[in-house]
Amino acid sequence: MSDRSGKVQMKALSMRDVRFKYARSEEWALDGVTLDIEKGEFVSILGSNSSGKSTLCMLTNGLAPHALQGTLEGSVEVFGRQTLGLSVAELATKVGIVFQEPDSQLFCMSVEEEVAFGPENLAVPREEIRARVDWALALVGMRGYNDRSPFSLSGGQKQRVAIAAALSMRPEMLVLDEPAYALDPLGRMELYSVLRDLRQDYGMTIVLAERDSEEAVAFSDRILLMKHGRIVDSGMPRDFAQEPDRLRAVGVVPTQLSEISEMLNSRIKNGKFAFLRVEEAAKGIIENCFSKKGGGRA
Amino acid sequence: MTGFVDLFTESNSALHRMDPRVKIASVIFLSLLALIISELGYLLVLAGVMVLLLLIGRASFSKTMFAFSYVSRVMLLIVVLWPIFDPSGTPVLLEFGPIKITGPGILAGLATAVRVFCLAAVWYVLMFTTSQRDLVRALVKLGLRFDYGLSLAISLRFLPTFGATVESIKDAQRARGLELDRGGVAKRARNYLAVLVPTTITALKTADTLALALQSRAYGARADRTYLRELSMRAIDYVALVVVVAAFALPFAAKYLLSMPL
Amino acid sequence: MIPRNRALPSEEKIISVRNLKFVYEGGVEALRGINLDIRSGEFLAIVGGNGSGKTTLAKNFNGLLRPTGGTVRVADKPASELTVAQLSRIIGYAFQNPDHQLFCASVEEEVRFGPVNLGYPEDEVKAKVEHAIEAMDIHSVRALPPHSLRLSERRRVSIASVIAMDPRVIILDEPTTGLDAGETKALMAKVSQLNREGRTVVLITHDMRLVAEHASRVVVMSDGRIVLDSDPRGAFADLDLLRNCSLVPPPVMLLAHSLAKYGVPRDIISPQELVMRIVLGKGDVR
Repeated sequence: MSDRSGKVQMKALSMRDVRFKYARSEEWALDGVTLDIEKGEFVSILGSNSSGKSTLCMLTNGLAPHALQGTLEGSVEVFGRQTLGLSVAELATKVGIVFQEPDSQLFCMSVEEEVAFGPENLAVPREEIRARVDWALALVGMRGYNDRSPFSLSGGQKQRVAIAAALSMRPEMLVLDEPAYALDPLGRMELYSVLRDLRQDYGMTIVLAERDSEEAVAFSDRILLMKHGRIVDSGMPRDFAQEPDRLRAVGVVPTQLSEISEMLNSRIKNGKFAFLRVEEAAKGIIENCFSKKGGGRA
Repeated sequence: MTGFVDLFTESNSALHRMDPRVKIASVIFLSLLALIISELGYLLVLAGVMVLLLLIGRASFSKTMFAFSYVSRVMLLIVVLWPIFDPSGTPVLLEFGPIKITGPGILAGLATAVRVFCLAAVWYVLMFTTSQRDLVRALVKLGLRFDYGLSLAISLRFLPTFGATVESIKDAQRARGLELDRGGVAKRARNYLAVLVPTTITALKTADTLALALQSRAYGARADRTYLRELSMRAIDYVALVVVVAAFALPFAAKYLLSMPL
Repeated sequence: MIPRNRALPSEEKIISVRNLKFVYEGGVEALRGINLDIRSGEFLAIVGGNGSGKTTLAKNFNGLLRPTGGTVRVADKPASELTVAQLSRIIGYAFQNPDHQLFCASVEEEVRFGPVNLGYPEDEVKAKVEHAIEAMDIHSVRALPPHSLRLSERRRVSIASVIAMDPRVIILDEPTTGLDAGETKALMAKVSQLNREGRTVVLITHDMRLVAEHASRVVVMSDGRIVLDSDPRGAFADLDLLRNCSLVPPPVMLLAHSLAKYGVPRDIISPQELVMRIVLGKGDVR
């Protein structure tokens, strides 16, 4: 992608032939990953457990290899800089990360302290920290929760605070490793609305690792499929809505709407449904199956 | 579980608004005062001051009664047992065998009980008027290394969480037929392994992710660090500090320099 | 069609709850008068959002919590007369976080823990352990330390250790949390098998897809009360109810409701069924 001047735009994340093996393991958690993520993209990485998607997340902000011991081959570049040459602290201003366990990533005694922790460590002036805390909490819909203790929050609220705590360092990319893991459906929905708004209103680059396809298909610009430490497939959400078998091939359950599309396509002549949203599915089905000239049996 | 360590009750009293560093210093000075005064009369005055502090701090009656339920039992024990073990002085009021109950013995017992009350009360006032956040902040401001302050803060933050985890683990094991309140010492110790091992493993796993989270927020990035929450002394905080120091210094001087009976 | 080859529940009420009330210390009213009869052999799903009381209810079944009002009867005896250990012979409870249960040096020891606690003689313990290991397919890891296993295996070990106690009822609290598609399918297949063998299964979940695929009966809870007690179709027919209970209706349900005025029934519970209805038009496809 080039901008108007013709220069190639810097990618948010760039990996070339990346392999990573944890210190005490014999298998390569990542076994040759090459990918590019553009600034402002919302990319979901889908795969079954132990497909390597968590490890990929850990590589984006330098936790691998700096904090998680292991062997790294290949190159990982974040906004044009090699992660090997930057410390995790330096990368923290470029890449924010949210883990799957709500409790294990909130360690301060109040929401406000949690969100302020990052900028405090970076010696940001106090008035600016105050501004960032308020901004970040408003972004995730937790305005006014400043003095609440993490113990008193629901799972969904905790994860949103975790996002705010990452945002207050003003990163350009947010990486989330199965953030909805421990959440109930309502918490999941709140979380993904926040991500959608971040992407739409702030142009934040978002990388999301997930096991479940429903939200990924609904919100991402692009989807990458991982299996056995490699990226084995990629495409737009609509491609996977059209061909759910591609998701099944990596052990991910396709969305219900794509299953419906698939079954309808096999029964209706010239059926080319690839539903992403309920409204378009309803419309498509009404037009093609229930109108006078519409489909019916194959 | 939280109730045990977090006694803080939200309020807008003068004590709540006082700078936590002054409160910590006051507690230390007043505790020392309680230890050096041994005359019952003066201890009762100090106890009166404690009650005054409880009132100024707008302590909740029910919560205070609950907090002191344990202390009052200790006090009662002291009042009853002390005279039995302190046969000094005259007049002797009761005697059976080697045990002599004397007037001074009873007074000494009362004095010690009041002293216990004063110590418990002054720390209780600190705890219910100061949030854990402010306490840790004050300690760091007073010179505690930030790393230690953070460790303390994280420990306090996770107390209720781990309390809940332990309860959940106990439930899970009881549902497998484990009876934690039966059996001899050895059996009970082995039974508790079923609670201890999962707790430890859960704690270690949490610690692992915590370490990653801390690093991801640039912990340790720079030697200089700013703080969102600042503590600043108001005029009245200085006044309070002076009063407390004086309240300590005068009796101290009276007792040790002027040898007055205190 | 959705396979429902499970044993039909008998008439015996294995758990019976009348006007059950539970208030936590601190005043939170978690259960506000629950009436429920669970029949032996049922596959019951209890669904509800956070704070609906579903876990509190389940813990009242096996004595981990005792009612503050109302009664609980288990196998026709008052639960109040039985200790948690005694109740654990009848009702097994697999917690959501398997790490809260696992503590032994090997999977085999872990599975033995329950039956040994219940005082079974050694030959019976061995038999029950073998059966449980077989049922949960953990034979290949039986000598390994449980904490070295991946999540799906740890979960199976934890469930096996509950099955080994040979309970008539198994309560599973969100057993598919953290499992991917393949692992979920494998686990639920084993759970269905347990139900076919005659064990009553109580599944606490907020995943409506699981409910559609496996449960024969669903109880929807909200704010300490049961708001719906019917077969899964009943739950799927009521969009507003689910939303009011902080549950998210699955897309197939939303779509069925959008097509209602074209003759598509509202109580559709799977994509297959919906497609059938669309393509075949009228006609009973259940």
